[in-house]
Amino acid sequence: MVELVKEFASGIYNLLLGMVTTSKHLTRHAITIQYPKERWDIPARSRGMVVLLTDHETGKLNCTSCLLCEKACPSGAIDIEVFKDENKKRHLQGFVVDFHKCCLCGLCEESCNFAAIKMATTYEYPEWDKAKLIYDKDMLAKAGYDVPYEKPVRKKKASPPSKKAASPPAEIKANTAPTSESAPEPAPTPEPNAETTPANSPEAASPSPAPESKEEAKPIDTSETDKSAPTETDNSEDKN
Amino acid sequence: MTQDLHTEKMVINMGPHHPSTHGVCRLILTLDGENVVECEPVIGYLHRSIEKICENRTYAQCIPLMDRFEYVTSMSCNWVFALATEKLTDLEIPERAEYLRVIMTELNRIASHLLCIGVTGLDLGALTPFLYTFRERELILDLFEMTCGQRLTYNYIRIGGVSQDIPDEFIPKCREFLDIFDEKVDDYEKVLTENPIWMARNKGIGVISKQQVYDFAISGPSARASGVDFDIRRDDPYSVYDRFDYTIPVFEGGDSYDRYRARVQEMRESAKIIGQALDQLPGGDIRAKVRAMFKPKAGEVYSRIENSRGEMGIYLLSDGGKKPVRVRARGASYNHLLIIPEIIKGLKIADLVAIFASLDVILPEIDR
Repeated sequence: MVELVKEFASGIYNLLLGMVTTSKHLTRHAITIQYPKERWDIPARSRGMVVLLTDHETGKLNCTSCLLCEKACPSGAIDIEVFKDENKKRHLQGFVVDFHKCCLCGLCEESCNFAAIKMATTYEYPEWDKAKLIYDKDMLAKAGYDVPYEKPVRKKKASPPSKKAASPPAEIKANTAPTSESAPEPAPTPEPNAETTPANSPEAASPSPAPESKEEAKPIDTSETDKSAPTETDNSEDKN
Repeated sequence: MTQDLHTEKMVINMGPHHPSTHGVCRLILTLDGENVVECEPVIGYLHRSIEKICENRTYAQCIPLMDRFEYVTSMSCNWVFALATEKLTDLEIPERAEYLRVIMTELNRIASHLLCIGVTGLDLGALTPFLYTFRERELILDLFEMTCGQRLTYNYIRIGGVSQDIPDEFIPKCREFLDIFDEKVDDYEKVLTENPIWMARNKGIGVISKQQVYDFAISGPSARASGVDFDIRRDDPYSVYDRFDYTIPVFEGGDSYDRYRARVQEMRESAKIIGQALDQLPGGDIRAKVRAMFKPKAGEVYSRIENSRGEMGIYLLSDGGKKPVRVRARGASYNHLLIIPEIIKGLKIADLVAIFASLDVILPEIDR
């Protein structure tokens, strides 16, 4: 009988203790946030969307098409198309990231020696259509245009990418205002002659502008990305 | 009159999509009224053939896959794979990297136990501790995101070290977390440990005897709750675990209640280890020099570490090439699931939920 009373008393006591603990939380403010209206600050290292980075001095992509990221990718999400001209210079033709294969591991960023590919903090890029998750070069370049990055300090031999990097002083933050004439402006100058491809298949669309820019790439290699960038971007924008 | 009343045994499925099966697990239950006569687990719903995929990937590419092997404690999975390759190659790991690995893995252990305790409460009808534990788990995940950029699949520990050094604000934030953490654990204990309802649901339920621990190769907190004093961190030390001062909680009951208490104590001990590791954290490199195309020596190796659930191991067979020939992963959850049919006999369905939760079974670890 005494045992029973003791057990009863301790049970009541511990229930009350729990109630006190929970009631302490009554007066505290909520730690949750109302997501679409409020957002928290994402740390700079947060791994989100894969983007291509642009050198704001020259207005060209940093990518040297060395294919290291393609080899590093564990899920085969990256597909790079390279064009070699007669001097065996490598030109980036196509760069496709398939976001429904991408596992956001960050190995591509780690493998890159030229600060060309980065995982930005963008995390809101869902689509209703699977095909829209296949991003081509210009979509990736547009997404990464304003992403801040640090230029790697280059040491040895002058391959085509390092030429342009060696002439300006080493560290340029992409956040600084880009030089207006060289930067590929994403929004304006729609070109009417851009090929009209079926609306929901960027996969089919991405190779189609390639032959056009291939011809341009042969005489002047510097203008390649500048010219092709706005057209393809607009093309993709129309689709979306 | 009484002879006309006869009952039949009924076979029902619990799962695959039952909220308290923590993943996709199907239990075929033979019931006599509310009592469980027989229980047969069916696994394989989450099979992703990670082991086979690893055979077609380089060693560096295997590590993101290991994140998915057991996603609640990805740090341990990363580590155990890196440890296997390092054993094959006799790599010398920088000291700072070892300490960072310990800090991250212990934080991950706390996060995993918080999940387990919160969800056990949720399954048994106590919603409040679930909210409390997830609040603290968020703080840990913030620390992870700050360091490696992800909240669940970290991909942080690499062959030969860790991927990135910790940011400057990590140490103050981590200390801040450790300072408040003990108080928070007290809160959970006030709500749960001595609560009469909690005790009635857990005490004496699902008793695993010492002999069963050996027979079924139960490990981790579940084994230590049954009086088996075994912890790989202490008994087969890897990394720098021999430099810390911590105790390993052992309980004798072997029931769900003791498994819960073992986890609570372990969280406190892990917090101690993190505090000491932050004090001792040396400077220097965070990654040994490893070639981009990593090739270990030919041979086979088994590496194991103490996960939050028990022993986690990787068996690795290498022919000296850039891809592993065979990868075999061992997760503790498989053994923990297989003991449920043994200990559930004669108990009720509601007890099955308590046992399942207290054993902390994670299904992806079983199916791989």
